[in-house]
Amino acid sequence: MTVKRKVENITAERMVINWLGLGLFALLGVAAVVPLFLIIGDVYIKGIDAINRLGGLWVFLTELPPTPFDERGGIGPMLVGTLYMTALGALLGIAVGFPLGVYIGEMRREKFANVARAGVNVLVEFPTIVVGLFVYAVMSLAKENLNQYLLGPLSKVLSPLGGWITWFIGPLDGFNAYAGAAALSIIMIPYVALITASAYASIEQPLREAAYAIGGREFNALFVVLRKAVSRAVVTAALLGTAKIAGETAPLLFTAFGNTYYAPFTGPTAAASLWIWYAAQTPYDVQIASAYGAAAVLLTIILTIFIIARIRG
Amino acid sequence: MAKIELKDLRVSFGASPVITGVNLSIPDRSITALMGPSGSGKSTVLRVLNRLIELYPEAKVSGEVYLDGQNIFDMNVLELRRKVQMIFQIPNPIPNLSIFENVALGLKLNRLVRGRRELFERVKSALEKAQLWDEVRNRLDMPAGKLSGGQQQRLCVARALAFEPEVLLADEPTANLDPENTAKVEALFLWLKKEMTIVLVTHYPPQAARVSDYVAFLYKGQIVEWGPTKDTFTKPRHELTEKYVTGRLY
Repeated sequence: MTVKRKVENITAERMVINWLGLGLFALLGVAAVVPLFLIIGDVYIKGIDAINRLGGLWVFLTELPPTPFDERGGIGPMLVGTLYMTALGALLGIAVGFPLGVYIGEMRREKFANVARAGVNVLVEFPTIVVGLFVYAVMSLAKENLNQYLLGPLSKVLSPLGGWITWFIGPLDGFNAYAGAAALSIIMIPYVALITASAYASIEQPLREAAYAIGGREFNALFVVLRKAVSRAVVTAALLGTAKIAGETAPLLFTAFGNTYYAPFTGPTAAASLWIWYAAQTPYDVQIASAYGAAAVLLTIILTIFIIARIRG
Repeated sequence: MAKIELKDLRVSFGASPVITGVNLSIPDRSITALMGPSGSGKSTVLRVLNRLIELYPEAKVSGEVYLDGQNIFDMNVLELRRKVQMIFQIPNPIPNLSIFENVALGLKLNRLVRGRRELFERVKSALEKAQLWDEVRNRLDMPAGKLSGGQQQRLCVARALAFEPEVLLADEPTANLDPENTAKVEALFLWLKKEMTIVLVTHYPPQAARVSDYVAFLYKGQIVEWGPTKDTFTKPRHELTEKYVTGRLY
């Protein structure tokens, strides 16, 4: 009898400890997601209210930002700038990051692949404002020659196409959308490269052998056959990387600079993140409201990309 | 006439020798089994024959291998791998690709077909030869990863056959299959040998006895004995061979 009671006691004790332990972890889990929901909730409550106050969704998405004395306005130029620079940055980031990832993941016998891997590992943790500063410096140095010998003549050649072309191609200002996109791509490249590399490195040897047996050429084996095996991971990486750069502010400070008008991409370009940074600091309620509205829009873009990535992954 | 001729083949991985001088001639339109315990170098010999060994940068290969009298190391590797196809121990279809695409991909990448009609015919005939067509004809668009293990392996056979190869290398193709699927694959090999040379690696002597015409017994990187299967199993010349085929050496 005594023995049995002892066993029951141990069981009860263990169950209590188990509950306490699980409860503690659940609590920590809740603590981790509470800030997320507080931020999302705060941004959407204030943001939606602001968008309604400033003239509704369509006005907000298309019109110029409010001056301190306006009652309505939007973030039209910021939205266009963010979408343009994010798209360019993401394309460039994937175009460079994917092959780079294949190189460092699959060609480990190459000596330089190790150097590249180390470099990419450093770059992924780089302060983003330093990336912006770097692109700013390069832009300052290269701008004159670039404009004189390439972009100036090019825009003359393209001018018969019509005036709209000057919005995209032409002599660059020190601040422009392309510098912004370049800075964003430098942030995206290591991100895509590392995930691609680890996806390729996790391919099992039998599959790799099959790829070479049927693909023949190394290029085919790596970029056609094995890509199909890792495409899901790589697409997810590309989407998450895009979401990441869509909200970046620091790298755009010295590169896109920001603007409050619809303006050619060859000059200072507006971005939603830059507008939030600027407008939230002003003492004017209407601009602070537009910053909250912009935050809600930006968050929507990022969460949408993120959810697509999750569903696919 | 020997289809494949190996002369003093030596392979080492880094500092450790794996194959230490193998001479072998593999007759055309027959099944030659390479049998031996784990680590004897069977799979390595196989990977030399289609030069997949070159995927392993630490592997050093010396000696000569002739396919129809032509040194394979002088051949274009794409041409070699087209003629010498391989089936692996673990069924390895490309998991996200459909059944059809798995068979078609190699043909497309190597530009072996002209037009969709021919591609379809080649895929169909490969699947028929691999005895898989009837099971998958209505679901060619299904991801290959959803097939059963035995079907996946026959899909890999079809993928190899689509190239219309002259030589089929099989690296313990039934090691991961149940007896029923093993029997199917073995029957398939017996039928295919009318058209091609098959080199079958197995660590299971009864399989070698069942299907092969010739057998080579590898042990520690060397061929201990080599000859017609019947003779090797009934009158082994070497003590090691006798021990191996009677299950006392592993």
